[in-house]
Amino acid sequence: MIRRALASSQLGLVLVIVLLGTILTISAGSHVDPRSGLEINSFLNSYTLIQTATDASFFAIMAVGATLVIIAGGIDLSVGSIYALAGVAAAMVLRAMGPMDSLATFAVGAGVALGVGLVCGTFNGLMVVGLKVHPFIITLGTMWILRGIAFVTSEAQSILLPGSLTAVAKASLGLGAALYPVPMLVMLAVTACGSVYLGGTVMGRHIFAVGGNEEASRFAGLRIGRIKTGVFVLSGLLAGLAAFIGASFYGSASSADGTGYELYVIASAVVGGASLSGGKGSAVSAMLGALLIVLIRQSIRTLHFDQNYEWIIIGSAVVIAVVLDQASARFTARRLARGTGR
Amino acid sequence: MTRWFGISFATTAIALAAGCEGATPATTAKPGLRVAVIAKASDNPVFLSARTGAEAAAKELSQKHGIPVEIGWLTPAKEDGQVQAQRIAQAVNEGFNAVLISCSDAGKVNGAINDAVDRGVPVMTFDSDAPESKRFAFYGVDDIKTGEAVMNELAAQMGGKGPIAILAGNQNAPNLRKRVEGVKQAATKYPGITIVDTFYHVETPQDAAAEVIRVQNAYPQLRGWAMIGGWPLFTPTLLTDLDPARTKIVSVDALPPELAYVEKGLAPVLLAQPTYLWGYVSVQRIFDKVQLKQDVPQIIPMELVRVTKDNLGTWARQLRDWGFSDVPAAYLNMK
Repeated sequence: MIRRALASSQLGLVLVIVLLGTILTISAGSHVDPRSGLEINSFLNSYTLIQTATDASFFAIMAVGATLVIIAGGIDLSVGSIYALAGVAAAMVLRAMGPMDSLATFAVGAGVALGVGLVCGTFNGLMVVGLKVHPFIITLGTMWILRGIAFVTSEAQSILLPGSLTAVAKASLGLGAALYPVPMLVMLAVTACGSVYLGGTVMGRHIFAVGGNEEASRFAGLRIGRIKTGVFVLSGLLAGLAAFIGASFYGSASSADGTGYELYVIASAVVGGASLSGGKGSAVSAMLGALLIVLIRQSIRTLHFDQNYEWIIIGSAVVIAVVLDQASARFTARRLARGTGR
Repeated sequence: MTRWFGISFATTAIALAAGCEGATPATTAKPGLRVAVIAKASDNPVFLSARTGAEAAAKELSQKHGIPVEIGWLTPAKEDGQVQAQRIAQAVNEGFNAVLISCSDAGKVNGAINDAVDRGVPVMTFDSDAPESKRFAFYGVDDIKTGEAVMNELAAQMGGKGPIAILAGNQNAPNLRKRVEGVKQAATKYPGITIVDTFYHVETPQDAAAEVIRVQNAYPQLRGWAMIGGWPLFTPTLLTDLDPARTKIVSVDALPPELAYVEKGLAPVLLAQPTYLWGYVSVQRIFDKVQLKQDVPQIIPMELVRVTKDNLGTWARQLRDWGFSDVPAAYLNMK
């Protein structure tokens, strides 16, 4: 069991996060908290840790959905645009409906954002399966279409959401002032659900089967089209959820929201170990991948490095990591082949 | 596991390499003033000059009062209100004593500004305000009046008649929308002026110049451009693509690459925001508020500087003195 744990990809990622966290804790220095007057570590404090998790949560929630698509052998470039459209749609509907009680506001906002995500995801899935066009092309197109719809319908304005939604998204849950754990908790819940879905249900195993070998899956009687559509639906749904949490947390939505997030989301999934050729990946690893990417961003600032290097550092870390992983896989395959030959 | 060691190795190695160039050591608690500057985007030269101004003010204040003043540049690489909100929270978490921000999306940063103030970190805005937040002051131009000034100058250049277009940058930016509103309001005073449309674009020099050329081809009758930001004038493209005898431009901003347009007569008037002062004045006001416990007005108006051929040399030397290293020597020698 210990060997299995040591071999798991999650443990490796956790170790890297802990290592980076340790370096940051040692190197960050300290400052006086203006409220308490106490001297606190500039990284290892509850504000920074929850803030880091919050920053990661929007990517991570979408990364769980993107991982499903990637495991099935596809790709979804439209999640950032779904994020924008779902947030804008929820904000516009709530504005049009006027003041409501908190529960109704929450229900309408969540319903609209999730509904828009669901519709967009379904549209992506049906287009990919129905037209038999590579998902890269379809979602590249919908990425622009959906952002364009958000742009036109919102007239490019930033639309405020009701304060009651922000109060929910920024509830401190007894942790103390200025500590907002709700996005982090949603991220953990989504990751747990994604993990159970992928590892503990027949539907989840079907996704791995389709991504691992689509032809064999077809001969085995799996309904490929339905499974492929399903992963895009879930990806869209989770983008809608992330949009709802994000717009509620920050208090507004605009068509510019989520610009470029698709790349962070895909990077999170890939850093989390998902294979772009399909058949490999996990929800927990995707979340950890998102956390690591945000932690790298955080470290650039905590260590007072020139932040203009952020993209170079993140991009290089992703490329080098994947190249080393592939080299390792080839090395292992050769070693196994030599062993079999002997 | 190899992937994770790869990530670890790559992150550490590259971060250390990057850090060698631009890092300042992480600080432990010490008396003084640390100001986090969060502009809209670090690839925009106007914000780089604001950074230069902020750093100059910090140096002067440190020397004058014997209190270390440090500037932390936390500006996102590209415009993103959500990232700005995250940077405000990070600044507070990392022990900065004040935040200076130009808001990409006021709705997105209101909450983060209020949180920062509630945690004892005062926030000041510049260039683009968040008036509904708890920020203690705003320093910048009045955007409506800026738009009006652009239109009035353009009308004067065109003799009060002819079709014009408005070049408007990012449609999401509230300050730019106000400037457009100002241009349109002022245009109503000139019955001979017709606005064919307002054109939005990605705020890069190339995208902006391409948009101008596209519009010019689509509306060959155009005689004037009201540019509420100087994006296309950062490239020399329009110097050859537009005829100064036929077309006149009046634009906000007058940074070194734009000065050639004044000299050639294509943009006879540029309305410069002294962007260096965004940083310089704001850091001084923050020092007044935080260190000297003085009252600071909520709105600190910035005046536009009218740049024409008559004061091109003076303006060029002013830019050089503010730290711009790319001011053409020919202009420095002008009157």
